[in-house]
Amino acid sequence: MRRLWPPLFLAVAGLVLLEIADLLQVLNTSLVPTPSLIAASYRENAADYAAAFQETFFATFVGFFASAALGLSLAFLLSLSDLARRAFLPFAVFFQTVPIIAIAPLLVIYLGFGPGTVIASSLIVSIFPVLASGLLGLQSLDPGEVELFRLYRAGPLDVFLKLRLPRAYPSFYAGLKVSAGLAVIGTVTGEFVAGGGLGALIDSARTQQRIDLVFGALILLSLIGLFLIGFLRALNGLINMKRPYGLLLKD
Amino acid sequence: MKRPSCLLALLLVPSLLWAAKPREIKIQLNWKPEPQFGGFYAANLAKVDEAQGLAFNPRPGGSGTPTVQLLVNEKIDFAIVSAEEILISNDRNPKKPVIALFAVYQTNPQMIMCHAEKKFESLKDVFASSVTLSWQSGLSYAQFLRKKYPKTKVKFAPYSGGIGAFVGNKNLCQQGFVTSEPLLANKAGRATRNFLVSEEGFNPYTTVLAVRKNWLEKNQELAKKVVSITRSGWVSYLENTVPTNAYMNQLNPAMDLRTAMESAKAQEKLIRPTDAFQVGEMSADRWQRLIRQLKDMKLIKTELKAADQFAVF
Repeated sequence: MRRLWPPLFLAVAGLVLLEIADLLQVLNTSLVPTPSLIAASYRENAADYAAAFQETFFATFVGFFASAALGLSLAFLLSLSDLARRAFLPFAVFFQTVPIIAIAPLLVIYLGFGPGTVIASSLIVSIFPVLASGLLGLQSLDPGEVELFRLYRAGPLDVFLKLRLPRAYPSFYAGLKVSAGLAVIGTVTGEFVAGGGLGALIDSARTQQRIDLVFGALILLSLIGLFLIGFLRALNGLINMKRPYGLLLKD
Repeated sequence: MKRPSCLLALLLVPSLLWAAKPREIKIQLNWKPEPQFGGFYAANLAKVDEAQGLAFNPRPGGSGTPTVQLLVNEKIDFAIVSAEEILISNDRNPKKPVIALFAVYQTNPQMIMCHAEKKFESLKDVFASSVTLSWQSGLSYAQFLRKKYPKTKVKFAPYSGGIGAFVGNKNLCQQGFVTSEPLLANKAGRATRNFLVSEEGFNPYTTVLAVRKNWLEKNQELAKKVVSITRSGWVSYLENTVPTNAYMNQLNPAMDLRTAMESAKAQEKLIRPTDAFQVGEMSADRWQRLIRQLKDMKLIKTELKAADQFAVF
């Protein structure tokens, strides 16, 4: 709980400052809404916010877990073969560098309007950090440790489970944390073009000059990101508690 | 004596050059250089602006350029907006009102475009069908049509520009300007049926040149000149679109010259319904009607006066 104080204090101070600035008439609320305006927009549009939040939350979760599963599996497969790695990695880099906003309209043409496109957008944006970090982790082995395992006549499965995986874990974790934030961005970008969720709510609010709704939706988006990061931290805590391989990774 | 006179000459020459330089009028557009802005470019090409000591400089925008917000927040002095944007902005920012100077389109060119093989006769048919309609749901006309046709089987999807999704999907209708998207769809080999939103009873002025009210109060003469130049520019453009279209084509090659010529032809009657009509004019009745419609849709809350929304020169 003590760790939560600094960000909480900063958030409350920021909110109070905004209200004071509005009272002093130095804040342009058509550009930056006050917390009370955002709170009023939550009350006024509770049903719309709730429905949009659910849709975005679902798509982000599916997109993130799909990228985690696919990214880690690919990282494992590519770590086994130098040839496969050299053949595949340029395409992975393509996914990292292509601006999603440029290909999102194409995703609508390929996959149609709706959650399919949104999840695909989330997956495309968030897979690369998992893949790259996973691959780096699986390849970063101390030759001395490998030699030691060989001396003890350890089989390939033992080397993988007891050496490679624990050594790669910090990289996996770092990649997943980066990917969690990107999954939210990918989802919203997908929603801008394919509809639904907080992305569509933001798009509509922008057209109507409803900056309070835009900020309200942004806060909910950051909550989704925070939830994912919190979930990963809890999972990491659980793994560290067991510490099967003498592993200790602090956040 | 020579030295002071040289010095004086050195000081005078730049100031004379500065005095001769026309004042730049930056106009922030909300889309790329296309025939819907032809008159603004024509005013500059025909040097109508220069004759009055001004230099029109239309600045291209893009999808979602927040021109009205830029105007309200004093980032720009001249912006192209729509009549609804003005009313919504004035409702939300009563201390920083925006005012219309010149309305290009008398008939709103916004429409819903469907594939011809669907054989829809009207928007009523479209809303009675189960097609997908791709549009920006936040647009006021989208809300107007949702209110007019509450019971519908249509699936709604966002619109992110272009006609790519439309061309590839015969079950899709989409938003657009009658002067643009149908021409592009026809070029891509798709016959369309287009339904103007104005025919449904929602006809706000579009492509409206607007300024801040406080700016106008301090710059009445300049505003008068700008309106006069804009009107001359549009009259010149409507008489001969060729040179301006060729120029805009250089700035925006995405719309080829032939499509631009067709677009310019298609918009003539929307801009000047009759030969006697003075281009750009607005009426209090039209503004009042729009205020009532936006209030009915709950897009504005305060009581706005029609006379405060536009200036007459």
